[in-house]
Amino acid sequence: MSAILQLFPELTNVNGDAENALVLARRAQWVGIDAEPVPVPAGGGLPTESPVAVVLGSGVDSALEQTRDALLGIREALDEWIAAGIPILAVGTGFELLTASIELEGRVLDGLAVLPGRATPLETRAAGEVVVASTWGELIGYENHARGYRSEGAATLGAVQTGVGNGDGTEGVVSGSVFGTHLHGPILARNPSFAIAILTAAFGDDGDLYAKTRADGVAEAIRVAALRRARTV
Amino acid sequence: MILGRAVRIAARLRKKGGGSAVPGLVVNRFAPGFLGSVLSSFPEGLVVVTGSSGKSTTTKMLVTILEAHGKRVFTNPSTANISQGLTSALLERASLTGRIDADMAVLEMDEGHGALLSPQFEARLVLLTNVMTDQIDRFHDSEKVVGMLDTIARRATERLVLNGDDAMLDAMAADTHDTALARFGVTAEVFDSLPRGLGYAQTTPGRDSEGTLVSRVDGRSASIRWDGFDHDVTLPARGVHYAVDAAAAIAASRELLGDAFESTTAVDAVSSVRAVFGRGEVVTVRGKRIEFVLVQNPASFQLNVDELEEGLDQVMVAMGSDVADPSYFWPVDASRIGRARIVSGSKADEMALQLLYQHVQVDEIDADLPAALDRFIALPEPETGVKTIVFTADPMRRTRSHLGLAQ
Ligand SMILES: [Zn+2]
Repeated sequence: MSAILQLFPELTNVNGDAENALVLARRAQWVGIDAEPVPVPAGGGLPTESPVAVVLGSGVDSALEQTRDALLGIREALDEWIAAGIPILAVGTGFELLTASIELEGRVLDGLAVLPGRATPLETRAAGEVVVASTWGELIGYENHARGYRSEGAATLGAVQTGVGNGDGTEGVVSGSVFGTHLHGPILARNPSFAIAILTAAFGDDGDLYAKTRADGVAEAIRVAALRRARTV
Repeated sequence: MILGRAVRIAARLRKKGGGSAVPGLVVNRFAPGFLGSVLSSFPEGLVVVTGSSGKSTTTKMLVTILEAHGKRVFTNPSTANISQGLTSALLERASLTGRIDADMAVLEMDEGHGALLSPQFEARLVLLTNVMTDQIDRFHDSEKVVGMLDTIARRATERLVLNGDDAMLDAMAADTHDTALARFGVTAEVFDSLPRGLGYAQTTPGRDSEGTLVSRVDGRSASIRWDGFDHDVTLPARGVHYAVDAAAAIAASRELLGDAFESTTAVDAVSSVRAVFGRGEVVTVRGKRIEFVLVQNPASFQLNVDELEEGLDQVMVAMGSDVADPSYFWPVDASRIGRARIVSGSKADEMALQLLYQHVQVDEIDADLPAALDRFIALPEPETGVKTIVFTADPMRRTRSHLGLAQ
């Protein structure tokens, strides 16, 4: 069985971000690959087998330190996954915690610095729908965050067409096999092309992974409606 | 006060199609002290019920218990829990002198508006139900919600009654309050029997052994324990959250009534409360029996889905525009639904996407709610159980109006 890790879902599934692990597992299952989402509670042990992909979701600010400490507890494994090119999707505060630091009111919280750059406060909270022009087409979704992301020359997911994203016209980050984004919730279900990018990184460029599913037809309807809303604002 | 009356009369005149929130709005603007003066006018004080979910049922149960003990209670309809609606509800009842003829008031308040109103009132007792993750959708952060609840809680002069299983409320009370506390919750045995816990944003690691506790839940039958005795109650519908609401109402009424509190009277009163509209209600439409299941947040979605009969073959699911961002429903495991005949509502596609990934068979997706309802009702009688519609608040209202049911 191929494990798709859900890191600390009790802390990081506030907006359903951890469910992206379910999305990856289902898509793999649908083409006959034996994959399962495997939740890893904070402070709990990791499975002995290496995962094929890892999802780290977003939580409330009061859980930032606890989540960071849980990440420090698996630091060695994290470095190994990154070195081995295992895809990691980090959303919201999960994304922020993988950067060098998070600027909070009156203090700075050190991150794990496996991603370049840092999370800095936005002038106003960003909440609403987002459209990003990415390598995998237009990504749609929702954002709800108080901080943006600043880095010197890091590769991003793409340019923000609607919404705030990193706060400088770009959204997210791509660094090796690590993807960071502010788009919360089941971003991989809403954007099958992004899911396929992660799945092919996990399982190799298997043609079956590109097959369109019934869920993708539904996602397409959601995307068309979201793009229409974005274009009429 | 004359102003309020005049506005009310004016509102009556122009009420034909108009909403009852209008006079409240006008009074709040022109006589901002009105609400405060009415709220302080009850001889036996004011009780405020607030929190993320369970407010309506808890309020209804508490009012019923107090009335069964001979109290004359003023309360607000659950749809009027925000400032303007509340003012309107009070205006409807206030005399020329700005008083309402009742011994006490038990008001359900939305946390956001309750916090805004808090400088205008002092409450004898504040009851805090819980903090659910869904409030993040509305207020961005559960800490913000706790801050608002704290602001309301600070208006309590005698008692703060709170959910002892809710870690955020627990921490808030421990940090900042010198008001006497009374707690309610569930016993360790009940907690251990819940596969997914209670659905609060954070749950305390241990269970209380003191206070008013749910000690057994079995469908619509439950036991509530206080002073070392278990008392059997009948719940308005299946689900542990109704039992927790009953424990909350009993905990508050014990504090309010003191020596006058009668266990049997309270048990009978709680058991007589029917479901607050929408939840677990069974209606007969066009000769077909249909159960309505209202989901207002992820926690109630999870609890209600877990309570569904296994293997239902006729379920319709509808999600509407009241859900701004469907992402936060994804932590809910809806797989028990098994098969959805129709997924509808303006967010039908978002709901269907989640169901498909959770391996629920989705026969049909149709955002057109009236058309979907007509087809669903027309299906022959189900093989298992009763036709069941699981919906969020907006499609529930539209369903009721399409089927000609009372709102
Ligand atoms: Zn509320």
